[in-house]
Amino acid sequence: MLSSYLTMAAILFCIGLYGALTKRNAVIVLMSVELMLNSVNLNLVAFSKYGVVPSLTGQIFSLFTISVAAAEVAVGVAILIALFRSRGSANVDEFNEMRR
Amino acid sequence: MAGSFPWLTLLTFSPIIGLIVLLFLPGTNRRALRWTAIVTTLVPLALSLWLFAVHDASDPDAFREKADWITIALNHEAVNIESSAYVFQYHLAIDGLSLPLVVLASLVAVMAALASVHIKKRWKAFYVWFLLLETGMLGVFLARDLILFFLFFELTLIALFFLIGIWGSLNREKAANTFLIYNGLGSALMLIAFVLLIATAGASLNATQQGGDLVYTGDYATIRSNLTAENSLTNLPGHYENPFALSDGMRWAIFILLLAAFGIKLPMLPFHTWMLRVHAEAPPSVVMIHSGVLLKMGGYGLIRFGVGLFPGLAEEAAFVLALLGAAGVLYGAALAFVQTEFRLVLAYSSVSHMGIVLLGIASLNEIGLQGAVYQLVSHGLISALLFLIVGSLHERTGTTELDELGGLARPMPFMSGMLLAAGVASLGLPGLSGFVGEFLSFLGLFETMKWVTAIAAIGVILAAVYILRSVLKITFGPQQERYAALKDARLIEAVPMIALMAFIVLLGIYPSVLTDAMQGSFDDIIAQLNARMGG
Amino acid sequence: METVLSQYAWLVPVFPLAAFLILLAFGRGMKRTGPVIATLGSLASLVLSALVLIEQLGGADEYNNGFDWIQIGGYTLTVGFDVTNLTALMMVVVSLVAFLVNVYSIGYMKDDERISVFFAYVALFTCSMLGLVIADNLLMLYIFWELVGLCSFLLIGFWYYKPEAKAAAKKAFIVTRVGDVGFLIALLLLFWYMPDHDLSFAAIANVFGQTGLITEGITTLIAILIFLGAVGKSGQFPLHVWLPDAMEGPTPISALIHAATMVAAGVFLVARTFPIFEASPAALDTVAWVGAFTAIFAASIAIAQDDIKRILAYSTVSQLGYMMMALGLGSVTAAMFHLFTHAFFKALLFLGAGSVIHAVHTQNIHEMGGLGKTMKTTAWTFAVGALALAGIPPLSGFWSKDAILAEALHDHPALFAIGIAAALLTALYMSRLFFLVFAGKPRKGASGHESPAVMTVPLVVLALLAVVAGFVEMPFEGTGWFGEWLTGHAAAHEGTALVMLVSTAVGLLGIYLGWLIYVKGAIPRDAVTKRMPWLTRLLERKYYIDEIYHAVFVVSLRAIGRAFDAFDRHVVGGAVRLAGGAAVWTGRAATRMQNGQLQSYGLYAVIGLVILAAAIAGRRFW
Repeated sequence: MLSSYLTMAAILFCIGLYGALTKRNAVIVLMSVELMLNSVNLNLVAFSKYGVVPSLTGQIFSLFTISVAAAEVAVGVAILIALFRSRGSANVDEFNEMRR
Repeated sequence: MAGSFPWLTLLTFSPIIGLIVLLFLPGTNRRALRWTAIVTTLVPLALSLWLFAVHDASDPDAFREKADWITIALNHEAVNIESSAYVFQYHLAIDGLSLPLVVLASLVAVMAALASVHIKKRWKAFYVWFLLLETGMLGVFLARDLILFFLFFELTLIALFFLIGIWGSLNREKAANTFLIYNGLGSALMLIAFVLLIATAGASLNATQQGGDLVYTGDYATIRSNLTAENSLTNLPGHYENPFALSDGMRWAIFILLLAAFGIKLPMLPFHTWMLRVHAEAPPSVVMIHSGVLLKMGGYGLIRFGVGLFPGLAEEAAFVLALLGAAGVLYGAALAFVQTEFRLVLAYSSVSHMGIVLLGIASLNEIGLQGAVYQLVSHGLISALLFLIVGSLHERTGTTELDELGGLARPMPFMSGMLLAAGVASLGLPGLSGFVGEFLSFLGLFETMKWVTAIAAIGVILAAVYILRSVLKITFGPQQERYAALKDARLIEAVPMIALMAFIVLLGIYPSVLTDAMQGSFDDIIAQLNARMGG
Repeated sequence: METVLSQYAWLVPVFPLAAFLILLAFGRGMKRTGPVIATLGSLASLVLSALVLIEQLGGADEYNNGFDWIQIGGYTLTVGFDVTNLTALMMVVVSLVAFLVNVYSIGYMKDDERISVFFAYVALFTCSMLGLVIADNLLMLYIFWELVGLCSFLLIGFWYYKPEAKAAAKKAFIVTRVGDVGFLIALLLLFWYMPDHDLSFAAIANVFGQTGLITEGITTLIAILIFLGAVGKSGQFPLHVWLPDAMEGPTPISALIHAATMVAAGVFLVARTFPIFEASPAALDTVAWVGAFTAIFAASIAIAQDDIKRILAYSTVSQLGYMMMALGLGSVTAAMFHLFTHAFFKALLFLGAGSVIHAVHTQNIHEMGGLGKTMKTTAWTFAVGALALAGIPPLSGFWSKDAILAEALHDHPALFAIGIAAALLTALYMSRLFFLVFAGKPRKGASGHESPAVMTVPLVVLALLAVVAGFVEMPFEGTGWFGEWLTGHAAAHEGTALVMLVSTAVGLLGIYLGWLIYVKGAIPRDAVTKRMPWLTRLLERKYYIDEIYHAVFVVSLRAIGRAFDAFDRHVVGGAVRLAGGAAVWTGRAATRMQNGQLQSYGLYAVIGLVILAAAIAGRRFW
């Protein structure tokens, strides 16, 4: 039972990773990051139910993750909008601010 | 006699005192800067000569200075160990091996300070780096703690880097970079070897009732006795519980690391190219120090750490070392013969002469080891003299290309005579110091490896060939118009030339000055080798 | 008998050394007094060494004294001096010739602006040569051996602005150094094979006098290596090439160094270490044959040369060959006797040649002629020297050459034949030289004038010596005290009458031939050249030895050097550049990775993660 959840989470994570690393549109990158976070949530919940030592901690952690993810998206989109305003584009290829 | 006064500390750091004085002088007052530096370098010279006079081989502790310097407590959770710590000491001492080199270093430093009249810019910074360099090289020869040695060693590297990079000739920056990268590599190898040594052979256990205090130290004597004593932890078989055991493979690894590290400095045969550029680009007074003293740190390190710590391995590697030495002698000589730039001739001749040092070391007997040290000192003096002259020549002619020079004996009889004298000293003429070093090295090696010695002796002919070719090219021949008006040496140039020559002659006709001082300093090594052979 | 003066024999080389130091320090301001100081130094040496010789002749004991030079562990190298009959004799010969040459040079070098430098070098040479002579062990002898080589080099290159002088000086130093390396290795061998590592001559005589202490193979090796040193210094084939070129130096130097003293040091060395040679028949044979070959080889070259000094130089090579041959035949007496007489008459010939050159400013004998009329003293003394060299009785050369030839006849008829042939050639080239220079009519208007007294007096003194020096050892009963005194046994006396007859006849024949060709013109001068032009050419070009050496050694060394240079630049230097380049390249690559793209950073992180995971997994399974 556990392994099917984990497989599902792994597939989700890989899709998310792929998207985060390859998509050029910043919005899609952000969505992919969400996908990865959700796959982690799935893992947490699955372990908390079917793990060797089942406990509620996993579920509580997934709640934390969801709220942090929400905050992250809020900050991320805000930065994205600011960048879009200054650059006129949501294309991640053109963002190399970190190089400076 | 010596009391508790820290003479060696004073000797090592006296250039720093001068450096502080220099810092308060205006950077534009060239005379004051120069004379402060010269007077400063006289202090270590006086001290080292005094040490040389009063040194007594039977009392090695007379001037020893030892104090715990850095202690790093370790969180070592082992059974029966109460505490453990890394302890690095401030530990200076002299013996017959380091004393001649200390005198050489301080002497060459004075001469180089005098020769620095040709420096054209940023005098203050120059003398600051210069004095730092002197402290570094004195410290290298005096330090008896591995980490302290390493620090002094690095100090010379950095100081020399700036001296080449700022005051060198056209390609100075590139030369400085090559120098730093290559020597940095050497230092890295050395550091690895030192760390391995400290972590194994450096350990000593002070047993107490609660268990014991485990101390890792870089102390040379401790490491040496741990490596050689039969029942030390290092030499017990490497159980899982004995982290201090050094397997044969590990010993070889450390030995080869040390060999490479000091081989680069010496320079040993395949590692020599970095110093060609230094010879050609650095200002002559810096090359005096570089060729005269810094290369000697390689030979010193090989004897002190390579042979001193691993006499057994050195014996097994002796044949390879001798071959490398002989190859260096011949290879350097053949290359020196075809160079067209005088400084490169001298650079390759250094390769050749350092090959002789390697031969002396490879002999692993008292005559050869003393010969190696003798050759170090002698070559230091001779190459310092040669570069002193080269500096003055270059100042006047603007070139050291052999094809453009010639007939200088007429306008400059004194300097040409000196050049000729230094040249014949370099090719090993009896009566001058070069001969004694060469002869003793050959004599030592001949006991064990006759053929290698005989082949290397061909280098004696080649030395005559390349030295005479280049020196005669410069001084002999018809006088050239453009050099007709050149002036001979000024007093400030002539004095160091005569002083160096006097030392070369003294060491040539009365070698006991030096060999007596070295007497007995290789007894430990020899005794161990004999013990090995007996067992 | 008590030794009194011999204890102070070490002062003999000290006098010229003092003169050298004075000249070195204050020489520049002493154009007039400098030469006098040097001459006085050599005079002091002469007086003291003569007194020592007289004491030794009076039967004084040998004297030896010295001190430790280097002491390392259990090994000791000593320096010291030895007064024996042999060294006492050599000291006198050296200091006498040195003194006469000093006097002569005051006149000869008068106009040279570096005269004090010249005298300083000569003083240093005198000191080193005397040191070589009195050295009591082989290492010390080697040290002075090299020093005389240095002085020879300095004096050959004295006129440094002449390219030929520069080349000749360089050649002299390097070629002799080839031999010196042999000597050096012999020294190393001896050091390790001698009991107690004792290098003194007394110990050598002792050890090699007994059989079995050192194996014959090693003995031969040591002997041959020592002989190699002697070959270099004494200009024996195949290392003779430097000596004729050395004539680029001032002529008094050719007389002092390259005729009388330094080149004879090789003979002296072999004589000094003779016990080693005696212990090895193979080495003795080598010495004899090299000597004999050199004697005839150099004599044949001398016939075809045109430069007065070069003829004399080849003659020196040839005579040194005789001495070596004598040594090889086992007769130290004959060799030293010939060395003794040769020193005088060859120095005389060179100084005479110098006098001629001084007068006519050329060295080509075809440009001279008729000088016998204008330069009477020079001509007469030169004639004495030439006759002595040609071996005409009763001049000194006759007796000493006969001693050698008698030895040869006694031991080795083939060597005797070679010696006689060389004697014929010697007489021929000397008569050619003499007649072309002094007889006939002046050519090219160079009439010449007699040299000043300061130059002719040494000539006369040497001429007297060249006449009488031979009488110390005549092959008659009761006259051979010289050999007895010197080496303990006299020269061979068997068949001497035959030898004397043959050698005199041959000498006279040579002179007669020379007279026929160069004075009478009965035989045309180009008789040989016409029929065998290749022979003349071969002799003129000195058998092309120089060219061969140049091709074999210089060119190949240069080629090796170039090859190494390329190797060094590209392979070894390439490795260094690779080390430096690798650091730079790594830096560049890292810079490129740092492109500010978040996604690339993420990718690197993932790659790293994968590698880490793979490593952990791999470790688990491995």
